[in-house]
Amino acid sequence: MASLSEEVLLVVKKVRQKKQDGTLYLMAERIAWGPEGKDRFTVSHLYADIRCQKISPDGKAKIQLQLVLHTGESTTFHFANESSALKDREAAKELLQQLLPKFKKKANKELEEKNRMLQEDPVLFQLYKDLVVSQVISAEEFWANRLSINNTDHSLSNNKQEVGISAAFLADIRPQTDGCNGLRYNLTADIIESIFRTYPTVKQKYGENVPHNLTEKEFWTRFFQSHYFHRDRINTGTQDIFSECAKQDEKGLKSMVVQGVKNPMVDLLSLEDKTLDEGYGVSTAPSTSNSNKTVKENSNSAIIKRFNHHSAMVLAAGSRKGETSSTDGNSRDSDFFQPPVKKVKLQESIEYEDLQRENGPKTVALNLKKSDRYAHGPVPLQSQQYTTSQDIINSVNCIRHEMANYKPNLTQVLSNSTASSAIAALSPGGVLMQAGAQQAINRKCNDWCNLTLT
Amino acid sequence: MASEDEFNLLAIVVDVNPIWWGQQAQREPEFTLSKCLDAVMVMGNSHMAMTRTNKLAIIASHCQDSHFLYPCKTWKGGEGSGDDASSSGDGKYELLSVANNLIAEEIRNVMSKTEVRGHSTDTLLAGSLAKALCYIHRVTKELEAGQEMKSRILVIKAADDCALQYMNFMNVIFAAQKQNILIDACVLDSDSGLLQQACDITGGLYLKIPQKVALAQYLLWVFLPDSDQRSQLVLPPPAHVDYRAACFCHRNLIEIGYVCSVCLSIFCNFSPICTTCETAFKIQLPQMVKSKKKKLKPST
Repeated sequence: MASLSEEVLLVVKKVRQKKQDGTLYLMAERIAWGPEGKDRFTVSHLYADIRCQKISPDGKAKIQLQLVLHTGESTTFHFANESSALKDREAAKELLQQLLPKFKKKANKELEEKNRMLQEDPVLFQLYKDLVVSQVISAEEFWANRLSINNTDHSLSNNKQEVGISAAFLADIRPQTDGCNGLRYNLTADIIESIFRTYPTVKQKYGENVPHNLTEKEFWTRFFQSHYFHRDRINTGTQDIFSECAKQDEKGLKSMVVQGVKNPMVDLLSLEDKTLDEGYGVSTAPSTSNSNKTVKENSNSAIIKRFNHHSAMVLAAGSRKGETSSTDGNSRDSDFFQPPVKKVKLQESIEYEDLQRENGPKTVALNLKKSDRYAHGPVPLQSQQYTTSQDIINSVNCIRHEMANYKPNLTQVLSNSTASSAIAALSPGGVLMQAGAQQAINRKCNDWCNLTLT
Repeated sequence: MASEDEFNLLAIVVDVNPIWWGQQAQREPEFTLSKCLDAVMVMGNSHMAMTRTNKLAIIASHCQDSHFLYPCKTWKGGEGSGDDASSSGDGKYELLSVANNLIAEEIRNVMSKTEVRGHSTDTLLAGSLAKALCYIHRVTKELEAGQEMKSRILVIKAADDCALQYMNFMNVIFAAQKQNILIDACVLDSDSGLLQQACDITGGLYLKIPQKVALAQYLLWVFLPDSDQRSQLVLPPPAHVDYRAACFCHRNLIEIGYVCSVCLSIFCNFSPICTTCETAFKIQLPQMVKSKKKKLKPST
């Protein structure tokens, strides 16, 4: 039964279904068909249940529209009105085309979610196969269990890295000269998305105007032509659809300035110029921003404003986490420094880490009973020569006596014979080089063996 | 050619143990501490004369302390003390004559302050090496940007090893190895296991000289070239070092033993309680195979 509160969007008479004449009603949330003369509907499908619609090819005599449901069922409607069958069908088709996507998302989202979960987690997939496909438990039970678990880590699973916006994305759209006096702009989907994320007002305008008033191409052409995009925004004509954007941007910038920086450690107001002319430091100087300025100053301030606004939008867009449609385009994320963060900042600036007590790992002290063993270490006992105390005294006296009159005598350090005997000992074959000679012989033998073997 | 930015620092640690040198003066009067110091001075002068950017440090290692003979704390760059120093009259490079005079004066001071003490007759070699390392470290830190320094330590050892300095010695050796500082050793009397290990670990040369009188010749031949040049020369080969550890219970050299995991002391036999740190261990011993008792044949 059709409830009276449902809004009927389209009524098509003379539609046959299963060889019966009737009327097709397209409502806000469902499509229904009732046979001629009766007010109840025999066929009623929610848009959410419809997977897709199919139409018969144009050349065919019968003009038909088929609805395929998610469950696999299909319903066919035959438009039998002689004069306007095609028109009717086209009207119905177009309306369905517009309505179906809205409802499709809701139904499919769950399925998609489930599919995604199964694909991402092979263990889950295997479990699903084992339990549901082999009919141990039904699919609904499976998902009922799963969804309660997965709702908690839903937030964790969406930790894909958000890609920020390149600050130079507008500059990257370099126009190419298109022959005579024309410019060609290459817009990719990425650039369009960047523009929408950075300038939500433009997105708004896009939504309003396309595809009703302008085609996409025209929209973008106007965008680039408008003074909004180019440097000087002073002369914005009222016909320009983007003049509103400029005004909104200015408003947004002012609100940002008013909000100020919420870091308690940063005091920007102390940077203002304070003169002692009038009021002796009590009254601040009047701000010179709105007084009479020359044209050049105006354009300079316009450029500066543009840059500030652009940078602020780029930063804000990056931190907005993708929800651009809901937030107002020109308001920054309020409360950048919420109370707990503020406390942390204050804490950081009043405490020095290295003046705190050391919180190193607690170690266990080594408790030795015979620590003198460590003094000599794993060294074998060596015979010690003991000197009597008398010897010691004698030696010390002797050396002191000798060194009291020490004068370096560097010309008599070596004699010829001692030097030459030392050199002989150090030359190959000498006393000190014996071990080396043996090694050299060994090496020669090895080399010779290798040579003969190869 | 060495550029202006490459420095070479040689730190000579001379063992001036008064007891050993006093006895040596009585044993062999032709080679005494004076002669040894003369040879060391010749070595130092040669090192400084090789390149302008070479630096020198000499430390005297005594039983009481370690003392820097050169450079001296009170030396102020040579301008003020040039009056009496340059009166050597033989036209020597002023830096060398100043250095020699300083060294002589300092060693006289050190030896005159020697006191007789019965219990400490060992040279404080580990401490002197540590001072040398600290000096090298300080000079390295004082370099300007872009300057490099290579350093080595030459130890001239007279008296015997002191076993009590083992730990400090090993620490010094490993610190030198980390800093890429060579430790060379020229041993006059008896072989020193610690210095052999030091030279082996840091990559230096160890030499026990047969003739003490020819010390200067050995120093100039073997120890004057620095590490880059040594690869081009034929020098005495490194001796084989015995790295076997001695067990803590008997002080015998062993190749396989037991190590306590708490205090790292080495034992030759297993005991369930470590005697150094008194930790009790519970490990499964491998099953002892009971040896079959041989039946003695009754003697007829």
